[in-house]
Amino acid sequence: MKPAAFPTVVRPRDERTQPSRIIEGYPQTPLRNPAQPLIRREPTLSELTGPLDAARRVKLLGGDIAGHGRRQAIGQLIHLKVRVLDEDGAPVGGAMVEMWQANGAGRYIHPNDDDHAPPDPNFYGAARLVTDENGLFELRTVKPGAYPVPTRDGWWRPPHVHFSLFGKVWLSRLVTQMYFPGEPLNAQDRILNSVPDAAARDSLIARYVPPGREPYNALVYEHRIVLRGSAATPAQP
Amino acid sequence: MIPTAEATIGPFFPPRYVDAGSNDLTVCDGRQAKGQAIEIRGRVLQVDGTPLENLIVEIWQADANGIYRHPADPRHAQADPDFLGWGRAATDAQGGYVFKTIRPGAPQGRLAHVNFMVMFSGVMRILKTTMFFENGNDPVLNLALDRKNLLIGKKEGQDRYTFDIRLRGENETPFFDD
Repeated sequence: MKPAAFPTVVRPRDERTQPSRIIEGYPQTPLRNPAQPLIRREPTLSELTGPLDAARRVKLLGGDIAGHGRRQAIGQLIHLKVRVLDEDGAPVGGAMVEMWQANGAGRYIHPNDDDHAPPDPNFYGAARLVTDENGLFELRTVKPGAYPVPTRDGWWRPPHVHFSLFGKVWLSRLVTQMYFPGEPLNAQDRILNSVPDAAARDSLIARYVPPGREPYNALVYEHRIVLRGSAATPAQP
Repeated sequence: MIPTAEATIGPFFPPRYVDAGSNDLTVCDGRQAKGQAIEIRGRVLQVDGTPLENLIVEIWQADANGIYRHPADPRHAQADPDFLGWGRAATDAQGGYVFKTIRPGAPQGRLAHVNFMVMFSGVMRILKTTMFFENGNDPVLNLALDRKNLLIGKKEGQDRYTFDIRLRGENETPFFDD
């Protein structure tokens, strides 16, 4: 398919395909999400433009975060293949992607994380990449572990990977999370299940690819991320 | 295709993603952007005025002549080559952020403005708002009706503006859905 054009149309989203802003059992959400209704705004040039070369301001970090030799992270090696598309299904090339995740034991390298599980000295758990012309980025990592949320009421986050993406316009900026198929915790996660629409929830779960010859030592998962925006070529008379 | 569902950045956004200098838009690859250098600072607060630390603020704006560095702007060929228009900052323990930037020119049909995005743990969808430098007639500012004043940065001297962002509660910042 042709690479994504600069979107000229960004349609309002179906609210059922997006998470609730206030989530029962997620105590921070009622404190920091607006009480007033959001103001509906028709996109102007200001929102239909956006940073195309944010990557020039920042440092890219490689797509192999599982390590090598004596510096290998502990955990199930996985290979992620993620394709970034626009609403027309056209690949979004040149998009900056930031990912971060817990280590194999469910622990982040971050001062906010507590001592519930061991850190891994060989795993930082973050990569910053740019999609190729096919909208693809690939990542060799370890499968993140699940971890208990400090609410301590039985809520555990299922294994997941965070993504932050820069599309072709300001309104295509996206922060999302990807989940893994077949995880029992998926069914009770308060964040994943705050998306009302079942198909929209399913599209947050990566696809497991049965092992082939390559890569011989990693399980492969494929995922698709759709950014807002459409070229919406008007019908010709 | 249906756009992918948003999610909070959570409490573990890697600190190294707030690169040194990513809140300074006045310099790009060692070259100075054209126009009046200004500072925009503010605090980000949740309900009851509690400041929020390690919250991520991003901005996007036109250059000194009101031109966006993007092909959708008919004038983009004349955009300042040394101004990228995007920046990122994290808030400190007092909830404070600061950007060094160029005072944007007024794009056609608009007042000069800076677009803001707020991302944080528990903020399930990116919150978008816009800061203006003065009151007046602008198609986006006008939408805020009797809350327009909450979108106008406070001038604190020749080159300095304050723009506080209140996520919820009294004087809540107007956020846009677009």
